[in-house]
Amino acid sequence: MAGKPLWRKAFDAVESRAAGPVEAGAHSDVVGDLITLNVRVARRAQQEVERRTRRLLHMANLPTATDVRRLSEQVAALQRELRELDDRRP
Amino acid sequence: MSPSIAPADLLSRVQRDVERAAQRGRNGLRYAAGTSRPKLGQTPKDVVWRRHKAELWHYRNDDIKVRTPVVIVHSLVSRSYVLDLYPGNSAVAFLLKEGLDVFLLDWGVPDEADSGNTLEHYVDEGIPDAIAAACEAAGTEEVTLLGYCFGGVLSLCSAARHPELPIRNLALMATPVDFTKMETITALVREGRLDPEEVVEPTGNVPPDVIENGFRLLKPTAEVAQYANLWENLWNDEFMEGYQAMGQWARDHVPFPGAAFRQTVEQLVRNNALMEGTFELGGELVDLGAIRRPVLNIMAERDHIVPLAAAEPIVDLVGSEEAEELRLSAGHAGLVAGRKAAKITLPGIAGWIADHSEKA
Repeated sequence: MAGKPLWRKAFDAVESRAAGPVEAGAHSDVVGDLITLNVRVARRAQQEVERRTRRLLHMANLPTATDVRRLSEQVAALQRELRELDDRRP
Repeated sequence: MSPSIAPADLLSRVQRDVERAAQRGRNGLRYAAGTSRPKLGQTPKDVVWRRHKAELWHYRNDDIKVRTPVVIVHSLVSRSYVLDLYPGNSAVAFLLKEGLDVFLLDWGVPDEADSGNTLEHYVDEGIPDAIAAACEAAGTEEVTLLGYCFGGVLSLCSAARHPELPIRNLALMATPVDFTKMETITALVREGRLDPEEVVEPTGNVPPDVIENGFRLLKPTAEVAQYANLWENLWNDEFMEGYQAMGQWARDHVPFPGAAFRQTVEQLVRNNALMEGTFELGGELVDLGAIRRPVLNIMAERDHIVPLAAAEPIVDLVGSEEAEELRLSAGHAGLVAGRKAAKITLPGIAGWIADHSEKA
């Protein structure tokens, strides 16, 4: 049976040496903090964009993401109520 | 000095390489175009129970040798077709071939309406109702409950909270109980880092990409290694079928219902409540010691998602006199899919279930 090709042996050698440090880096507190920061900044940026565009969209009589979300929440609440009624049915 | 090669060997080697290059080109094109994706989850089945998004599937089997049916409880964050990938690589088909009567509890894909689903919803309602439906469909009085990954946690809690349930045996695959040993995947939501609310999106659920990225972070170089495997085996049709099926499954997560996620983070991750004996559902402590039926704890030695140490304590936590362990040299998904599963894991599981069940 033929062994691994040369390129694969070279790849495995590099990968086996790099995997440990890369994993340690990815699992470090610094990366954890960066991910946390990224999630928070992205969320705040989205809220800010929504806040700033809301008035403009409403002036043009257009629904905003917040409006759609509220409607969607109401539909979901209705669905849940229907389910509860359905569950109570003998 | 390098060994000399006979001309006939050299010719056959060149011939093989040319053939493989042609197969590589063909498979590469098919892979890029997405025209050769295997059809997944094709084992014939019937839906025997349905509640909201959850369904209980009963797989057809004309040759049942073990009367006690097996109810598989799948995880909340991934697709259940990993248990039934394609012919020749299907845990469900293997169990059917061994003469088992197989049911699978699939939770479906949660949406906004399911964001309020608590763990109690699954533990106190979903699993007990599905067990009753399985008993009715199979015409039996007991089942073997087989939980996979987080489905194992749900099964464990259901068996503990409801000793009256007709569970003859409890088998758990890659089921975490000690969440402190899952530091990497839970690190971001531990105390002082992200609050569960920051991960939950406006639909009220944790989006699948958050879960997928969490898994990806566990082994950041794995994706590159997978591409190397792909290039090396691109000529191999059998490899390509498995690669595409597993690749699709690994990228196909489902949203985690927000309410269940909050409970998981607060109790299981932050307080390690299953180990501390402080886990509460419905305002009551979950006493794993109340589980007295035979338990099989199946663990994968190379599982990077649920490490051995996270699953190991199960046998000490349950109150069963007959609590066994099955350690297998496999990864998380390798327990149920792939060549090793068919050769090692699944025969072990099927054998234990058959030995502890009523024969047909």
